[in-house]
This record gives sequence, C-alpha cells and structure tokens, in this order.
Amino acid sequence: MKKILTIARWEYLEKVKTKTFIISLVITPLIIIMFSLLPTLLTQKEDQRTKVIGVVDTSGIFFHRLNDELEQYKLDDNQPNYILLNLADNKKTLEQLKTEADKNVIDNKIEGFLFILNSGTDSLEIEYRSENLGNFKDLRRFEEKINRIRIQNELNARGIDPSLAAFVQNSIEIEQIKIEKSGEEGKQNFLVVFFSAFIFIMLLMMMVIYSGQLLVRSLIEEKSNRLIEILISSCTSEQLLAGKILGLSALGLTQIFIWSLIGITLVGGAVIPPAAFDNILIMLVYFITGFIFYTTIFVGIGSIVTTEQEAQQMTTYISLILILPVVVAMPAIQNPDSMMVRVMSYIPLTIPSMMLLRFKIAPVPLIDIIITLNIMFVSTIITLKIAAKIFRIGILSYGKKPTIKELIQWLREE
Amino acid sequence: MLLVENLVKEFQNTTAIDNISFKVEPGEIFGLLGPNGAGKTTTLRTVLNIIKPTSGKVLFNDQLITGDFLNHIGYLPEERGLYKKSKVIDVILYFAELKNMKRTEAVKQADSWLKRLDIFHYRNNKIDELSKGNQQKVQFIMSVIHNPQLLIFDEPFTGFDPINQQEIRELIFSFVSEGKIIILSTHQMETAEKLCTDIFLLNNGKEVTSGKLSHIKKEFGGNHVEIKFSGDVSFISSMAEVITVDTYNNYAEVHLKAVVEPSDFLKKITYKIDITHFSVIEPTLNRIFIDLIKQN
Repeated sequence: MKKILTIARWEYLEKVKTKTFIISLVITPLIIIMFSLLPTLLTQKEDQRTKVIGVVDTSGIFFHRLNDELEQYKLDDNQPNYILLNLADNKKTLEQLKTEADKNVIDNKIEGFLFILNSGTDSLEIEYRSENLGNFKDLRRFEEKINRIRIQNELNARGIDPSLAAFVQNSIEIEQIKIEKSGEEGKQNFLVVFFSAFIFIMLLMMMVIYSGQLLVRSLIEEKSNRLIEILISSCTSEQLLAGKILGLSALGLTQIFIWSLIGITLVGGAVIPPAAFDNILIMLVYFITGFIFYTTIFVGIGSIVTTEQEAQQMTTYISLILILPVVVAMPAIQNPDSMMVRVMSYIPLTIPSMMLLRFKIAPVPLIDIIITLNIMFVSTIITLKIAAKIFRIGILSYGKKPTIKELIQWLREE
Repeated sequence: MLLVENLVKEFQNTTAIDNISFKVEPGEIFGLLGPNGAGKTTTLRTVLNIIKPTSGKVLFNDQLITGDFLNHIGYLPEERGLYKKSKVIDVILYFAELKNMKRTEAVKQADSWLKRLDIFHYRNNKIDELSKGNQQKVQFIMSVIHNPQLLIFDEPFTGFDPINQQEIRELIFSFVSEGKIIILSTHQMETAEKLCTDIFLLNNGKEVTSGKLSHIKKEFGGNHVEIKFSGDVSFISSMAEVITVDTYNNYAEVHLKAVVEPSDFLKKITYKIDITHFSVIEPTLNRIFIDLIKQN
C-alpha cells in the first residue's frame, strides 16, 4: 500500500505542477462556458442601440400608428429601440425615394427602411430594405405591428365594438414549466437545461481526454526511456497500475474542485443560473465514476501504444464516444423516454454523459440510478482487470504494437 | 547468494535463454558477457522478476525474488532515461521511496551521493538541464541509494568519460568489499577483464563457457606472442605455426599452435623483418571471446 501511495503521489505532484495542467484548469471551463453561453447571450441580448428606420408609406396610414406601436420597445437605458423617419415626399417619384433611401442605408444614415406600397383596397406590398438580412427580430416586430394595425383598421372600418376588436387582437402565449418531483415547479427554460447538461458533459470529456493523454504520455515516456524496468523491479505491476489510477483520479478531483469553484463564482456573478447546479451531488458521482472508468480504459491503451501519435488517435476516438450524448441531446430532451436514450443510459461508455443529460431533462427514477451505478461499478472492475493484464505485459513489450491476436493471448495468460 | 537454475525463456518463436545456470557469491563481480543479442538483458530481466521465466528458477538467499526482496535489488538498465521535466532530487527520492526507504533517510543518502559524485549543485535542477554524463550519474545513484544487497549493472560504463568511468569503477569495487552480490553485464571485454572475478559467456541464449576468469584464461589461452617490428609482416598469417594474427600499424598479436615454441617462431621471422620487441603474452579476454564466439 505504501508503494501505491508513493506512486500516486509522484504521478499527482509531477502532473499538477506542469504548466499545461495549470493552463487547462482555467482555460477549459472558460472555453466551454464561452461556447455554451455565447449563442444564448447573442440571441437573447437586446442590441443596445437605437436604430433609425426609414418609412416610405404610400398609403399614409401606417407611419404614425407604427411609430406609436414601436415605442413600447425600449433599450436598457430607457431610450427608444427604434426611431422612425418619415421619408415620404410628394414631390418625388417612388423610384427616386427608393434610390435615395437605399443610398442612406449604404451611407449608414439609417439602419434600413420599410417600403409600404398601397396597391389597391386591401393589397399591401411591403419591403424592408437593409444591408443586414439576418435581423429576424426587428423584422418579426415590424410584421407583427403592421398586421395589427391593418386588422385594427379593418375592424374599425366595419364598426366592430372596440372592446371586441381588442379581444380579437390579443393572443395568448403558453408558458413552459418543468415539473420537478413532488409538485415543485422548475422555472428553467430549454436553453438552460440544454447548456447546463452540455457544460457538464463537455467538462467530463475534456477531463477524460486531458488526463487520458497525460497518462498515456507518461506511460509512453516510461516505456521509451525504460524507466518502466526500474519501476517494475521495485514494485509489482498491480501496485504501479493502482498508483497511477489513484494519482490521476486525485488529479481529476483537483480539476473538479477548481472547476466547481469557478462554477460557483459564475453563479454568484449570475452568469450561470443556479438551476444548472440542481442534482449536483448525484451528478458528481456519475462524473467521478465515469472518469475512473475511462481512466482504466486509457491505462489499457497506454500500455499498448508506442508512439504519441497513436495515442492521440486512440484518445480522440474514445472521447468521441463520450460526446455522443450531446449529439442526441435534442431528441433526448424532446423525448426522454425514447428507446435510444434508455439504451444509451445502460451502456457503460455512455452512461456517465447520458445520465448527466437525463438529470437535467426530467427526474430520474431511483431504480435507474441504482442500475446504472451498478453497471458502472461492475464494468469498471472488469475493465480494470483487463487493463491490468494488458498493462503487465504491454508495458514491457517495446517496438511494434501488438495485434488483436497477441492481445487475446495476453489476456489468456494467467 | 544468487542462484540461477536451468533458466529458460521462450518468446513466441525464439528461445531467448536456453537452460542456463549460474551462481553468484557475495563479494565478487560476476561478469555476464556476450555479443549483442546474446540474451544478456533478457537474463537480467528474468533475474529481476521483470519478466517471468518459461521454466527454471532464480533464488536470492534461497528465496524467490518477489515482494520485499525487490527492495534489496539495485538495477541500472542498459538503456538510460529519466523523467526529463522533473527535478533531480525528486526523481531520486521517488525511486528511493519505491525501494521502501524512509523519506528522511532517502534525503540524507541522496545528498551524500550527489556530493560523492560531484553533482550536488544540480540537486534542484530539472533532469534535462543536465549533461548526458550527469544524467547517468543520477541514474547510478538511483540504483544504489537504498544500499541493495544485489546489484545488477547492465553496461554501466557506456556514456561516461574516462574520468567518470574510473570513478564508477572504484565505486563498484567498494561494493565488492562491502560484500554485495554484483552482476555486471557487458560486451566490453576490457572492462570485464579488469573487474570480474567470475565470468559467464553467453551466445544465442546458450552458455559458451563460465567460471573463474583465471581458469578460463588458462583453458582457452593458448600460445600468444606480441611483436613490435618494422617491415612487411603479411607473410606471418600464412605460416604453418600460426593460428591467427592481429596486425596493427607496427605491432602484431600472434596466436601460435600449442606445439610451437615461441623462441623457434622468433628465429624464423627475424630474418624477414626488424623486430624491436618480442614477448610471450597472456591472451586478452577479448581474444578468447572472439575465438570462442567464432568457433560456435
């Protein structure tokens, strides 16, 4: 036991001191948070500037009403979001107006302009002309308001009771509420659910890739400089294996600890909603078991491969399996009881990330937790035994990578 | 005492060690000799329990080398290498502790060895900041710091300059007087000749010969003379009295047939070349080695 601890301490201290570890510790969560929060921030955040929108209104009935309607949109500093500019001019032809306005857009004097062409009784042709076609939100608002004005005009013209007219124009929005256990109401929306699960899976994946590579790299180093021979003539291969896994797990726990600190700070700073940390303890259990499971797999691989390139390839493939649940996240969120989701949450390779996802989508039955944790536990022990056998022989076979046939032979040796 | 009995190691389709036996007593240096690929390193790895023998056994003071016995072994592998990014003292302490040394004792011993080998000033440097020779010293320290009873050196002198070679040689001799069991594996015959009392010559995994160095010299020594000369000596190799001849610039070593008297040989050649020096010599181990391997 003393030797195992000596090895674990060495593996831990030598790796925790490396610059790459320290950098990855901080950079990884930052990158992940950036990637996962950026789209939300970009789509949800109001563009904080007043936009000047030109209006060419041949019907003459929309400009003022539209101006009134759009006044409801304010920026954070209570400035209006839109200022409408009436471009109508009786002395000019429509074509002239259009060219002039186009030029104003290009010169950035106005953001864009609405070109309302009244060609008949109820037939309107409306263009919104701007340099930027991606501005769905503005366009949706204009559409909604213009339609509202149009309908209101018509209802007024037909002498409908104004209160009925108002009723007709009101629409109802459905609020989505996630039901937690025992009738509690969760207030999180889809994006929070998705991204908080996504963050955890990404963190797990980064951690697995990172420490997997550290482990494999150190094994390759020890193999190539034959330190492995001194190690193996000082302790048994089982002790060496146990020490390495222990040291690496400690490294992983350090990462989790520091990332949690970062997470808590971010919650404090209201960057991440506290809801992201619901069920955090049970999720940590999956996180850690997943990490150890993958680490044992990497030990097996590390003792087979002989060059860093080979190692890189192998680690990449394995890590892709981990991220698979992110790919199926959408359908899983829409239908957490689907066959695929259930199956994936019983396969050891995908259990950790799948369960991280499931905890975020819907309450997970206790029985599922018990079953999956048992699967993890048993499969970790099995892979550990296999890895130990490969490790014992693999670490001393230099040069060529063993064939599958040779590997099976190794496994058969007692 | 280290006892190796009927050791066989087979790999998939080759027999790396083919039924060898030897024993090493304390206080002697046992030379395991052989050309490249003879099976020296495989033998050492089997003795060290790094790989398991196909059959046969290795006993160290009548017990199998496992568990705690590993703590009494010091091993300097042929291919050297250390954790490049780690500090000298950290690496030494790590391996000392793996040999079950207490940390405080390990620190004391490490410092004393670093001073002894004159690299104490690199104590807190990273390994890759050291020259190759100094890295080898660190590795040498790692193999002896825990005061092992069994020392196994695989080509210990490669990579050292003559001054350091001398230093290491003296250290190894000091281990002899401390009554340690020492196995030295090498293909440098001069080194073996200077250091070893017993040798074991290995080729293709089989024993070629073994025993006390002096006995082997007597047995395979034969009839050797050394000549210094001026003139052309190419005719010597075709003489009936001669088995082999090694010619250098103005110096030659001649292996004569056992029945030939050196003085008769001298008389025969004095007519043809100017001889400045003539002596009967003991053959070098190198010569015996080459002859034996060729005969095989």
